[in-house]
Amino acid sequence: MSSLLASLAKSLRSQSQAAREFKWMQQHISQHKHSPDIIHEYVRRRTAGEPLQYILGTQPFGPLNLLARPPVLIPRPETEHWVCKLAESFTPTAQKPISLLDLGTGSGCIPLLLCNLWPQGSVKAHAVDISPHALKLATDNAQLCGMQSSQQDHQTQNTFSTSMANFLAETFPDTATRSNAPFDIITSNPPYIPWNEYLELPRSVQDFEDPRALFGGPSGFNFYHAIARLISKEDILKPSGIVVLEVGHDQAKKVESLMLETGRFRRTEIWSDPWEKQRTVVAHM
Amino acid sequence: MSTPEDIVRLKQLKESELLDEAWTHWKANREQLDETVALLEDPDPTMRSLAVEEIDSLSTNLAELVQTTIPALLVPPSKTSHLGALMELKSGVGGSEASLFLAELLRMYQRLANNSRWHASVVGKNDLENGGIKDAVVEFKGEGAYDSLRWESGVHRVQRVPATETSGRTHTSTVAIVVLPLIEETDSQQDELFNMEDVKLEVMRARGAGGQHVNKTESAVRLTHIPSGVTVSMQDERSQHQNRRRAFQVLRSRLMDLKLTREMEERRSTRRNLVKGADRSEKIRTYNFAQDRVTDHRIGLTMKNLTSVMEGDGIELFIDALKQDNAESAMEAMLEESD
Repeated sequence: MSSLLASLAKSLRSQSQAAREFKWMQQHISQHKHSPDIIHEYVRRRTAGEPLQYILGTQPFGPLNLLARPPVLIPRPETEHWVCKLAESFTPTAQKPISLLDLGTGSGCIPLLLCNLWPQGSVKAHAVDISPHALKLATDNAQLCGMQSSQQDHQTQNTFSTSMANFLAETFPDTATRSNAPFDIITSNPPYIPWNEYLELPRSVQDFEDPRALFGGPSGFNFYHAIARLISKEDILKPSGIVVLEVGHDQAKKVESLMLETGRFRRTEIWSDPWEKQRTVVAHM
Repeated sequence: MSTPEDIVRLKQLKESELLDEAWTHWKANREQLDETVALLEDPDPTMRSLAVEEIDSLSTNLAELVQTTIPALLVPPSKTSHLGALMELKSGVGGSEASLFLAELLRMYQRLANNSRWHASVVGKNDLENGGIKDAVVEFKGEGAYDSLRWESGVHRVQRVPATETSGRTHTSTVAIVVLPLIEETDSQQDELFNMEDVKLEVMRARGAGGQHVNKTESAVRLTHIPSGVTVSMQDERSQHQNRRRAFQVLRSRLMDLKLTREMEERRSTRRNLVKGADRSEKIRTYNFAQDRVTDHRIGLTMKNLTSVMEGDGIELFIDALKQDNAESAMEAMLEESD
């Protein structure tokens, strides 16, 4: 036991972080009635750099406990923070429901948390991703959260649908997305890590999470250019629509300019995360 | 329509109903006693002996009313009787032996909760490899939990030969306990405790670039209540959401505790004698295994048969005695104030 904890502490370079993760592993084992011996396997995987979330298979996100599966991007606390803030900044109603598009949804964390925090029947969410793993996980998470699929067309519930699409492609939006347009809100946590920073990533990110969820092109801005092109098209956003984008630690100003250059927005805001990084660009039409 | 003053008066009437009943009962008994005493002069010897029996039982009744029933009704009703309790246990001097004793105390309180029909849940705990517990936080929900457990705040001392000690020497180890009132999120009192604008919420530690660059679990939070300077850190859960809820719950408990302590201080300053018990660094109880006894130093109560306290329901005797002691000092204070 103590040798396991010691090797975990050495690998995580923190005694206290190791103690907490070890406790969470033990809690997970007893909750799922796994054999106690499996702790050796967990510690071995963790010291080999695997994210704790993949080992335990979940990541809490707001009040939700979402499934986490390799290689789909694990929901981050920065994302959790801005999505909660967005949910508090206004509240749609069942009388006047809104439509939402999430680009590169991964685990589905952004639309699923919004659907959870907003009143039932107030939002109809559609999510796209290029990865079949991501779409499967987002669908499983939606089911776990008790979401309805929009095909069933429940008027009283929030709905969540997905389609496989590449939003960098000229052909985007795909048919399924187009059938849900125009949108009141477009959200995205697109891949934003530039090439030089990608090479410096911690092992647990670089070796385990999908590069297609992380790598934002040589300068890190490829996906923001694609989003700017998309919202310049007619009929994708409603007249009073908003676009909410997560950005890398030093990208907020540039992304804000990209949004303003489309000429579609009246005003923009930049939200900081709890670690005092400019994390979210919000553009209002 | 009844005015707020009416409601206060009605409430007062309602609250004094039982006292009025006891007083009426006492007066009736007293009159009956006077009448019965006259019968002692009766020429009929059967009548006289009946009178003696009657007087005996009436005197017992009167004594019971004066000594037990009425004083219990005069003690002001507890304002905290509906509150649950949040208990923090921390092992003190004595290393691993203290943590083993902490685990035993925890079991003792869990058994007490079970007998008292409270719902006990361990919300945070750090286990040690020797089977001991370094520290623990337990929630007790249920009527009267805080009123019973509040007297457990203080330093608990154990004197025994540790299982690991080969030379047979007796060690002294301690566990520090703090019991706070538990305020539920739905409790209306919580609104009065703080304004949301006065609470600063911080996340712990630097995260470098953060976002997609880092996938380490970062769920620790720290709350600071700026006016009082009370800070609460919580990092037991993987969910920041849950850590935040827990932290707010502890903050409410700490602020409620401050409020209750302040109220007690205010009452105390109007009195000449000091009410004992608020100092949490004070040694309150000793569990001596060699002598098979438990002693509460505040009320000087010693109980033989330590096992009945640790493994049975002996702890309830201490709690009842401490509640009784508190009621008595409250009575004394009332009498002094009315002087």
